[in-house]
Amino acid sequence: MNDYSVIGKRMPRVDSRAKVTGEAKYTADLKFPRMLVGKVLRSPLPHARILHIDTTRARRLPGVKAVVTGEDTTGEKWGVFRYTRDQQFLPTDKVRYLGEEVAAVAAVDEDTALEALELIKVDYEELPAVFDPLEAMAPDAPRIHEDFPQNINIHVAIHVGDVEEGFAKSYYVREDTFRAPEESYFQGEPYAVVARFDLEGNLEIWMPNAGPHMKAKPLSNALKIPLHKVHVRKITIGGAFGGRSEISPADFICALLAQKTRRPVKIVYSREENTIATRQGHAMITTIKTGVDRQGRVIARDVTCFMDGGAYSSTGPIATSVPFLCMEQAYRMENVRYNGYRIYTNKPVRGMIRVHGRAFACGVDTQLDMIAEQLGIDPVEIRLRNAREAGDYTNTRSYVTSCAMKETIRRAAERAGWKEKWGKLPPYRGIGIGCNSVQTGFPMGIRGGSQAFIKFNEDGGATVISGVVDNGQGNDNMLVQIAAEELGLRPEDIQLVTADTEVTPLDPGAYSQVSTFIGGQAVKLAAQDARRKLLEIASEALEAHVDDLVARDRMIFVKGSPQKAIPIKKVVRMGLARGKSVSGEGAYWPKVDPKREWVTNPFGQMCEAFSFGTTIAEVEVDPETGKVKVLQVVAAQDVGFALNPLVLEGQFQGAVAMGGQGGMLTEYHFWDQGRVMNPTQLEYKLPLAPDMPPIETIIVESHDPNGPYGAKEAGMSIAMSAAQAYSAAVSNAIGVYMKEFPITPDKILQALRSKREDKE
Amino acid sequence: MKRRLPLMLTVNGEEVELFVEPHWTLLEVLRDELDLTGTKEGCGEGVCGACTVLVDGKPVRACLTLALEVSGREVITVEGLAGAEGLDPLQEAFVEHGAVQCGFCTPGMLMAAKALLLEEPAPDEERIRRAISGNICRCTGYTKIVEAIASISGPAKGNPAGGKS
Amino acid sequence: MRLPRFQYLEPKDLCEALHLLELHGEECRILAGGTDLLVRMKQRLLRPSWILSLKNLHELDYIRNEDGALCIGGRTPLARVLSSPVVAEKIPALREAVQSIGAPTIQHYRGTLGGNLCQDTRCLHHNQSAFWRSTKQPCHKAGGRICYAREGSDRCRSTHQSDAAPALMALEARVVLSRKEGTRILSLEDFYTTRGETPLAIERGEILTEIQIPLPSSGSGNAYRRIAYRSAVDFPIASAGVSVQVRKGRIQRAKIVVGSIASAPLPLAQAGACLQGRPLDDEDALERAAQVSMDHASAFAVDNVGSTVEYRIRMVSVLVKRALKEALHRAQSREDEP
Repeated sequence: MNDYSVIGKRMPRVDSRAKVTGEAKYTADLKFPRMLVGKVLRSPLPHARILHIDTTRARRLPGVKAVVTGEDTTGEKWGVFRYTRDQQFLPTDKVRYLGEEVAAVAAVDEDTALEALELIKVDYEELPAVFDPLEAMAPDAPRIHEDFPQNINIHVAIHVGDVEEGFAKSYYVREDTFRAPEESYFQGEPYAVVARFDLEGNLEIWMPNAGPHMKAKPLSNALKIPLHKVHVRKITIGGAFGGRSEISPADFICALLAQKTRRPVKIVYSREENTIATRQGHAMITTIKTGVDRQGRVIARDVTCFMDGGAYSSTGPIATSVPFLCMEQAYRMENVRYNGYRIYTNKPVRGMIRVHGRAFACGVDTQLDMIAEQLGIDPVEIRLRNAREAGDYTNTRSYVTSCAMKETIRRAAERAGWKEKWGKLPPYRGIGIGCNSVQTGFPMGIRGGSQAFIKFNEDGGATVISGVVDNGQGNDNMLVQIAAEELGLRPEDIQLVTADTEVTPLDPGAYSQVSTFIGGQAVKLAAQDARRKLLEIASEALEAHVDDLVARDRMIFVKGSPQKAIPIKKVVRMGLARGKSVSGEGAYWPKVDPKREWVTNPFGQMCEAFSFGTTIAEVEVDPETGKVKVLQVVAAQDVGFALNPLVLEGQFQGAVAMGGQGGMLTEYHFWDQGRVMNPTQLEYKLPLAPDMPPIETIIVESHDPNGPYGAKEAGMSIAMSAAQAYSAAVSNAIGVYMKEFPITPDKILQALRSKREDKE
Repeated sequence: MKRRLPLMLTVNGEEVELFVEPHWTLLEVLRDELDLTGTKEGCGEGVCGACTVLVDGKPVRACLTLALEVSGREVITVEGLAGAEGLDPLQEAFVEHGAVQCGFCTPGMLMAAKALLLEEPAPDEERIRRAISGNICRCTGYTKIVEAIASISGPAKGNPAGGKS
Repeated sequence: MRLPRFQYLEPKDLCEALHLLELHGEECRILAGGTDLLVRMKQRLLRPSWILSLKNLHELDYIRNEDGALCIGGRTPLARVLSSPVVAEKIPALREAVQSIGAPTIQHYRGTLGGNLCQDTRCLHHNQSAFWRSTKQPCHKAGGRICYAREGSDRCRSTHQSDAAPALMALEARVVLSRKEGTRILSLEDFYTTRGETPLAIERGEILTEIQIPLPSSGSGNAYRRIAYRSAVDFPIASAGVSVQVRKGRIQRAKIVVGSIASAPLPLAQAGACLQGRPLDDEDALERAAQVSMDHASAFAVDNVGSTVEYRIRMVSVLVKRALKEALHRAQSREDEP
């Protein structure tokens, strides 16, 4: 049993008071004197050369303070990687998707800005466009980027062992193809940016982000101002889910308008803009061939995945790899081959999303169920036989230090009553299981590590300075808990200065699931550093050895004799008065293989820890309408250690909603050429409160030796295993293995009809 | 065209007098004119519920309500929930139950829940879910929100979602 | 999202409203709850110069019993319809329809019954933002000559997705349209033109002031069923309103109306006829009525409100059958009432 006073407790989040009173400020809530409203003109064509842009009339409109186009930029292209530099934030040559930024205005109010947009005239030469990844790869398809033949943006090729030999040795081999269209984030908060320059040419900018430093660098590049003059400020963020990981053209455009006008500018996206002009999840076609032995153990697996990447690279190399990595972490495979292709099309840009590839993850697990049925093995059993274990290496050579995958399977199965239900449910009732694993971080170059400072204040409280950003998942609270625990203070004694590139040191950001593991670790080390200094000062006063001192509940006392104590506040004041440092610093750099690279060298230690999870869902299908009622969901995840069970449960429940209920039953984009037909929440069916089932959460703790207090990633893997469990449960209920996701009522009826026809 | 009309209403107990253009929504007046930015715009078309406020005690979408339509009425926003004595029990419950994640839907969710409790002090779970069915939350899966509302509304207390076992 | 500019009219009573409406004519739109109108204006589907607010017209907010009919004022909020005991007891179809409109917080307090009936038809190729529509040539609904929902269609195929309309049409409800010179009463079948471009027979200068629903007699039952992918804030993609009259174990008369399939609710007399004179438990007759409904619907449905057209057509049969069963059940339990 641990002896923590703050860590591991069900603690209401420190940011929730400001949020329930409406005091928390999100980007769109900011207001500055003389602030202008920015609006973006978007391309009405999916693929076209920009011949001429006439902004004369817009500029003349009273109240318009600036109009910018590609001509106002250096024309430089940005890419997350050196080899993916393909996007201009305001294009100079051509537009590549319907909705791409073409020009922007800043005006005194929204009505004027909107009117100005209508006065900008753009001459385009329309080019042939392509909207389907397979068609885009054809030799005669229109080329979207000159440097990328066949529109192949990224090709990740991995082959470990010999899959052909593996198939030859297999007892049973099967191949299936799974498909899913795009899904979207639909963060609560639509995208917004506020930017302003000061007299010294420093840019201050606010926007929802999943890592302020990932925003600052491209802004510095594109605006040609030194990085240290770009101050991305802390702001409350209304969700990210992977969609706010990198620069958005709106960030640059807003800054450019502020630079031109010398006034603060605010751009707030409409819900439609948030959908088409930020990021979407990739559409995927995944073909999986798996060979197993008699016991159902995977001997060989060959996966080919075509991902519709949209018009630009975004985080393409990562997004193309992660679906595969999640699988290879979750399940053992003797031999494996992966060919992941990210293809350019004339559609909005695709990025990382919480459920990495429905057609991948659900494909792998659906096929596992098919194999299990063929071999007469229970789905739970076949997963146990293939499940990852601690001490293993993944196929791409990551060492797995901690892993309680099997425990998540067993406990979820037990809680869900799997044994009593599997194969015994009435018609149109079904139960299904899904397993997945998520990496706690990836190699990220200079932004791979995190640093933190702790400053003690004269009242005995402390200020934590860290680059960790809170997108809504509770990272701020995590930092407070860690600092309070280590410093012997109460949570209310901790002040945070976070996610501000002027003040806070480098940090990887929240999008690679490392806020706790790396950012939290840095804060822990900084706090320990500060505590050591306090204890040194206290040791004189208490006449005790430093090693015998403990800091707890605002006091420093001698172990074993609590009456020998001194308030921390007093120690801090002693330090300040004697000119002794009472601050701390900490830095954490993950032990990953720096030579690992997504495309050129996808081998070596990926990250220090992996999370593992299992979800089981039970459903009832209405055979007449095809509608699915989810009766019960059990979600179990190995999170290493639960820093705050209250927050974790919320992560699990939200993950079930996004990955399972929405992701597998109702959420998808549909298209008319390059136009998304459902850009808003009215037609994109996010789950609502009455749609959601009861969710049971099981926190499994494997105590990762490298994680802070043993903690690792939490929240993402449930989104994936929930998607898998939902699809498995529906397939089980209707007796048809579904291969196209999400499984909407029309598909269910179609499947039931085909099944009846097959029987006749 | 830019003729402004006088508008008088009560917002969070205070009488407010201002001049508005006819096409301004209640949401725009609250946020831009009165600086009450707690009320959020999530979709602008009456779907997401982030802009829900109370008008004469009933929940309405501020984004689909013209400011002039509420002249003489009493508007309560999330800023008006807490009193001098501290947070409203509903707000307290949201904090304690972990019903707040990113927080963007929270103000609207609170107002929808408040309206329900004003009308029906002890609703069952189904009623609660129905009452907030016009409020989209992308983070929580609604479990803890429903628990928070239930905790101050009826006999169903505690933590039915289970958790660490 | 910003509304376009307009001038605002706030008449004190119906008389003044009708006068102003007459004065401003085509350029004026009536604002009741605003849940349909304001969204369309934000999308720039409509840019009226004048908005006439009904907010002071409390005289149009009522539910009363008159000569065997339930009369509901055009501006009556949906919440009031839901709390009416008469509606709950005698017209459950209307209650079921109103309950499923939007979500409590969006529509029930601001939204009105008149507004729900007067909502315009919808189509995913039309009900989009101004930017979205700027990427295409205008369709029939926008004054052009193209239909994106059905290739080659010479007219607008937009879908009428009101929940209340099919339920009320099955109950043979009428609407009262008032203008300066007087009033006229239209059956709902006449109120809906079936033309996607101009779906309502309401004329310049008119306001829908009242909905009259003949109160069902003993031995009658009615029900409304709809389907959508989500539990709330979702327009139906298919729906059915039915009313039946039973006597001594047999169905005397059945009226079936299918919604969210065509540019107006579809009254299906032929489908209703399948049930005439049949015993209450005649499953085959029910199946036949459902099948006929589906066949009829299939001639109208186009792929323009989500899901697939095949699915929606199939749902017509399911919904008709389910609504009929419920209505028959209700009729049976009320057969002995005086």
